[in-house]
Amino acid sequence: MNHDIESGMRSALRPLAPSEEFSQQLLARVAADPQARQKSYGLMPRIARPLAWWLATSLAACLVLAVGVERHLEQQRSQQSGLEARREVLQALRVTSQKLNLAYEAVKSESTSLPDEKPGD
Amino acid sequence: MQKYTLPMLLALLGPALAWAAPDPKLLMPEFSGLAQKASESVTITLDPTLLSMAARFLDGNDPQDAATKEIIKGLRGIYVRSYTFDKDAEYAQSDIDAVRSQLSAPGWNPLVQTHSRKTRADVDIYIMLDHDQAVGLALIASEPRQFTIVNIIGAIDLDKLHKLEGQFGVPKLDIDGPKTPAQGTRK
Repeated sequence: MNHDIESGMRSALRPLAPSEEFSQQLLARVAADPQARQKSYGLMPRIARPLAWWLATSLAACLVLAVGVERHLEQQRSQQSGLEARREVLQALRVTSQKLNLAYEAVKSESTSLPDEKPGD
Repeated sequence: MQKYTLPMLLALLGPALAWAAPDPKLLMPEFSGLAQKASESVTITLDPTLLSMAARFLDGNDPQDAATKEIIKGLRGIYVRSYTFDKDAEYAQSDIDAVRSQLSAPGWNPLVQTHSRKTRADVDIYIMLDHDQAVGLALIASEPRQFTIVNIIGAIDLDKLHKLEGQFGVPKLDIDGPKTPAQGTRK
């Protein structure tokens, strides 16, 4: 008697694989329900997501700042080179003019020391 | 076949013709030994890039800058070497001759050669012409305690050179064009 009950219960409570239809329905419901999907992420990602956002934003800001600083430095370097080139041009022309002046003075003193030339010569 | 003959000839002769064209750029010696002995030295090397950069920083509203801008507009290079010494004869004539010898090359024409007994200064000005247009200027000035070499490359407008007058204390030179021969006043 006891044996019959026991074997009856065993056969009633035996593990059964769900039907293919059941599995598909369950997966479809999970996919359709956003709350169920959110629950599946657990507690950690809820904290980590804003942190990741801030990290990404900070990184982007740092990159923009670095590019800006580099551009500013490049502009400064370019300006310094330009001003240096300008200074050199002015100095070069000054040196040239001084020497032209020397030549002029020599020509002038030469022409004043020469006796007057006869017209037609 | 005939239509390709001329371009082919030009392609073949082009580099040769370019090579044959006189170069107004002088080869400046290093003068490193002199730079050490000199109490003052000026070494200026301005290539086309630096000249155009300098032009951007010249103020068109300033008379001196405007004149300078106008002068350097057609230039492709300015090279200056100038050494000042504390004592006489600190440099050898051979230092200058290395540059002067280059001015005997075809294309260079002596414009002014002067000697001042008072200052004991020699100034030689040479000009290189291409189709009546000055394309190069060389200036060698030697004084007892100083020597200076200036080489300007590019379309030098002699009229613009006149405009320097008053800007840098340059006097009016009688440079009215390329027809002016050497004014040999050297003794």
